[in-house]
Amino acid sequence: MKPAPFDYAAPAHLDEALAILARTENAKVIAGGQSLMPMLNFRLVRPDLLVDISRIAALRGITGRGRGMSISAMTSHHAVHTSPLVKEHFPIISEAMGHVAHLAIRNRGTIGGSISHADPAAEWPMLACLLDAKIHLAGPTGTRTLDAQAFFHGAMTTALAPDEVLTKVDLPALPRHTRHAFDEVALRTGDYAIVAAGVLLSVGGSPLTGGKRILDARIALTGVGEMPIRMRDAEALLKGQKAIDDQLIERVACLVRDGIQPSSDLRASADFRRELSFSLTKRLVKSAWEQRSQS
Amino acid sequence: MPEGRYVGAPIKRREDARLLTGESRFVDDIRIAGTKSVAFRRSDHAHARIVSINTDAAKQSPGVVGVFTAADIEGDARPIIASSRMANYQPTPMQILAKDKVRFVGEAVVAVVAENRYLAEDAAELVEIDYEPLAPVTDAEAAARPDSPLLHDGFASNVLVEREFKRGDVVEALWRPPVKVKARFRVHRKTPLALESRVCLAEFQAAKSHMTLYTSSQVPGIIKDALVKALDIPGSHFRVVAPDVGGGFGGKTSLYPEEALVCILARKIRGAVKWCSDRSEDLLATSQAFDEIVDAEMSVDEAGRILGVTAEVIGDVGAYSIYPWTAGIEPVQVISFLPGPYRIEHYHGRVRGVATCKPPMGPYRGVGRPVATFVMERLIDMAARKLGLDALQMRLTNIVQPHEFPYKTASGMRWDKAGFVECLKDAAEAIEYAALRETQAKAHAEGRMLGIGIATFAELTGIGSRLSASPGMPINTGTETAHLSMDATGGVTARFGVTCYGQGLETALAQVVADEMGMLIEDVRIIQGDTDAVGHGVGAFASRGAVMGAGAAMLACEALKEKLVKAASALLNAPEDEISVGQGALTTRDGESALTYSELAERYYSHMGAVPLEIKNALGELSVSRMYDPEWGTTSCATHIAVVEVEREACKIKVLQYVVSDDCGQMINPLIVDGQLHGGIAQGIGAALFEELAYDDDGQHLSASLVDYVVPSASDVPRMAMRHPELEKPENLGGIRGIGENGTIGAVAAIANAVSDALAPLGIEVTEVPTTPERLFRMLDASKKEMSNI
Ligand SMILES: Cc1cc2nc3c(=O)[nH]c(=O)nc-3n(C[C@H](O)[C@H](O)[C@H](O)COP(=O)(O)OP(=O)(O)OC[C@H]3O[C@@H](n4cnc5c(N)ncnc54)[C@H](O)[C@@H]3O)c2cc1C
Repeated sequence: MKPAPFDYAAPAHLDEALAILARTENAKVIAGGQSLMPMLNFRLVRPDLLVDISRIAALRGITGRGRGMSISAMTSHHAVHTSPLVKEHFPIISEAMGHVAHLAIRNRGTIGGSISHADPAAEWPMLACLLDAKIHLAGPTGTRTLDAQAFFHGAMTTALAPDEVLTKVDLPALPRHTRHAFDEVALRTGDYAIVAAGVLLSVGGSPLTGGKRILDARIALTGVGEMPIRMRDAEALLKGQKAIDDQLIERVACLVRDGIQPSSDLRASADFRRELSFSLTKRLVKSAWEQRSQS
Repeated sequence: MPEGRYVGAPIKRREDARLLTGESRFVDDIRIAGTKSVAFRRSDHAHARIVSINTDAAKQSPGVVGVFTAADIEGDARPIIASSRMANYQPTPMQILAKDKVRFVGEAVVAVVAENRYLAEDAAELVEIDYEPLAPVTDAEAAARPDSPLLHDGFASNVLVEREFKRGDVVEALWRPPVKVKARFRVHRKTPLALESRVCLAEFQAAKSHMTLYTSSQVPGIIKDALVKALDIPGSHFRVVAPDVGGGFGGKTSLYPEEALVCILARKIRGAVKWCSDRSEDLLATSQAFDEIVDAEMSVDEAGRILGVTAEVIGDVGAYSIYPWTAGIEPVQVISFLPGPYRIEHYHGRVRGVATCKPPMGPYRGVGRPVATFVMERLIDMAARKLGLDALQMRLTNIVQPHEFPYKTASGMRWDKAGFVECLKDAAEAIEYAALRETQAKAHAEGRMLGIGIATFAELTGIGSRLSASPGMPINTGTETAHLSMDATGGVTARFGVTCYGQGLETALAQVVADEMGMLIEDVRIIQGDTDAVGHGVGAFASRGAVMGAGAAMLACEALKEKLVKAASALLNAPEDEISVGQGALTTRDGESALTYSELAERYYSHMGAVPLEIKNALGELSVSRMYDPEWGTTSCATHIAVVEVEREACKIKVLQYVVSDDCGQMINPLIVDGQLHGGIAQGIGAALFEELAYDDDGQHLSASLVDYVVPSASDVPRMAMRHPELEKPENLGGIRGIGENGTIGAVAAIANAVSDALAPLGIEVTEVPTTPERLFRMLDASKKEMSNI
């Protein structure tokens, strides 16, 4: 369990990192190393050069933009978890971060690393899809921005080119009065989820427009397929509803259960994952609906 | 001088200061200049013939000192074979490197020696091995059939051991009894998972023809005795050292191929060679545990009295019969211990240990007893439920009563008097059993799945030479040695064959010696884990460390004191019978003259002419050595009670409460006793709910990292209450009973019973462990489907 030989560079500027990546065959970016180091040690990846981006100051930090925000790639899970700004505008992220691994790992693991790594059971990719995040990439010929849904291509495969660096993730503001719920089932505290789900319900409207109703509904799951999935049919069923009852919740949960294609592994069978998706959705939709609306 | 006694006092462990501050010295911390590192190319086939091996490229790789196959070490060691007196036993010689054939994924085939581990791994990748795959033998039950492919050429079958215990007439007892319960029980394969994985470092000093093997082992004495024979190096020139050892749990009680190999390689390259197992290798190639199928049946009368029990056990013993314990170590003890602490007249237990393409089965904390207890305690609960009896009552009805000791069990073991009934009642009282049942009824009414599980068992510890720690095996584990010496300054050093690997024995032994010698504990030095310490040492396993070590210490202290009296008699010019020893000094009866230990030692050794020379010549050094053989063993027992809640949505089981009441005789140190229970219970929870080594049908190992091999984390282990009722002490030296394994033995059964109790309204009985969320999901799903079919 020792890595194959590699060279190492730790540039202080993004341009430099990009230049190194552009001119080196088989180079690999390393961020927090929490996923990459085990893969190196198992010799599952064998780069000739590791480009450590942890010294690039410009890749750190959380910037508020009204009620939206931008999180730079090297921002650690722990920094996000404990950020008052995140808690204020995206409480669902704060909640979800508590489920990511353990403190020591959260202290090193980064948003950029997690999204680039695209583990099919990770929280960040799922949050990115749920929150319609914009993913910023920088490469030798400039920058590009992708919708989260377009960024993920499959299990551990993304739109990232080998010479690109993920620089930041923009999170557009959520509608006012968005209620949220997040939870997951894992074997142990801190493990990757067997299934995780997030629900956002934005409630609005006035007596003039026919009373309060669900203006926007989003449901995303992870652990139930190659990549995180938004449950559009289920969302559509919720949109426009003035109230939610058990029957409706059951229908929503059935759509989720039948709309996923989970696979089986050592931890959980596909059937178990379906059942978990069903019960998690039921509970989370209900809990989001019953939550007092956030401003 | 201390007030009162150390024995019985909750003294903080002396080893913790160094373990917690990084001052400890494990094998990997030992630096010998020029040490080379070994990496193995291990088999990725479960069963295959080795057609050819090409090491040319590996030999050219940077930093490589040598590349070795079985052919290259041919003749460097005599065969190492775990022989046995058991009838129908088929031994398997140890393969140090696989020759001709590989028999499990992870078996070492080629050893690369290089300047460091990185370079060794780089070269190991370049080795080319051409295999001819053979039919994998992975399912023990199928492997036991006559038509199965054979793992070992020329064997009669894959069944390496077979054993039977019978008492009474089971056929009669099972014939038309009022109530019968039966099930197929399955306990999956587990690994010991010590925090420090196995490490060994051999240094051969060619000019001195001296070999030193540093190894992370619980049994340096056993390793030395075996390797001296195998490697043909005189025992006087072979030293085995187990320095600080980071846990063992049985996984470090066997002789491993890697230990033999580093010695062979050190001798070949005339230097120091180290192998430091990584976690994957630990999961692939350390001896494993459990893996049994038990078809068991119990018959009871209407009053809940057990009439008869049968058990047919198939144990998956892996590819080789492990040295020195043999393939019988785990499965045979399942049928030995299955009757447990109960009065069972009619019993028939049969076991077959079957070879498969997996790493060898070895001793693991509890050995046989966790599985035996799981089966027996499950049967009792199943019977109680069928009869509508309370689980506690059913046990009280059947457990051996105080007046029945000594009790000979249905499998022929002897229980000496221990607190069977007392611990059962005490645990029930501690957890407020009656009130708890009411709480449970309320919870059930609210739709919560709360369950209470009892497990009670008896265990044989500190076994002497009249019994064998593993039936029929080739070595004696019935004695232990203590060597005690007083140096010229009065310093007392105690040397032991029993070993310390994190279980606190160093402190416990110091407590005993300090008390016996009347000294401050700080002034007692303990040396262990080194074959230079005593002439014959066995080690610590089978809950023997405290029983045997303390016993030997007491005998040695007694003998040393006698010697001190003789010396003092000469120095003080007083008859021996007028001198008493105590409080670190020797005093004449009239109290007129006294010598402290240091005064005595100084005068005895250093003052010329102080002691007449004929006395000095006869008495010699102020040191003694004593061996302790307790002849039989001593019974310890406990009752565990667990309360669990099944979280239906997540299919997870949460352990809410845990109580243990045990009889371990005289506690040397209650902190250590409780610590042993805590750790053992955590491992039992692992076996009950989490841990499973998974192999697919081709024999591929699916859980070779801690991502896939799931152990309980801190948040999965509940707070526990430990109780040690004041009971009559056993008659052995010190009145000590072993405690090291009581945690694991009871926990699997207590948790499984609690889960079954929680699921009782759904008619679910747990018969397979670990009860993972996936298994629980399938059980709940099946019961749901069954309900909807009605
Ligand atoms: C025991 C354990 C438990 C864990 N549990 C969880 C969990 O429950 N949930 C969870 O989500 N995660 C979990 N993780 C993973 C953790 O969150 C990692 O931190 C994360 O997946 C990767 O982030 P990193 O910064 O460490 O990336 P690294 O490991 O450094 O890199 C991961 C991959 O991303 C690439 N990469 C990294 N940053 C960039 C970038 N800016 N641009 C381009 N490519 C980049 C690397 O080249 C590499 O391929 C766990 C990890 C461990 C060790």
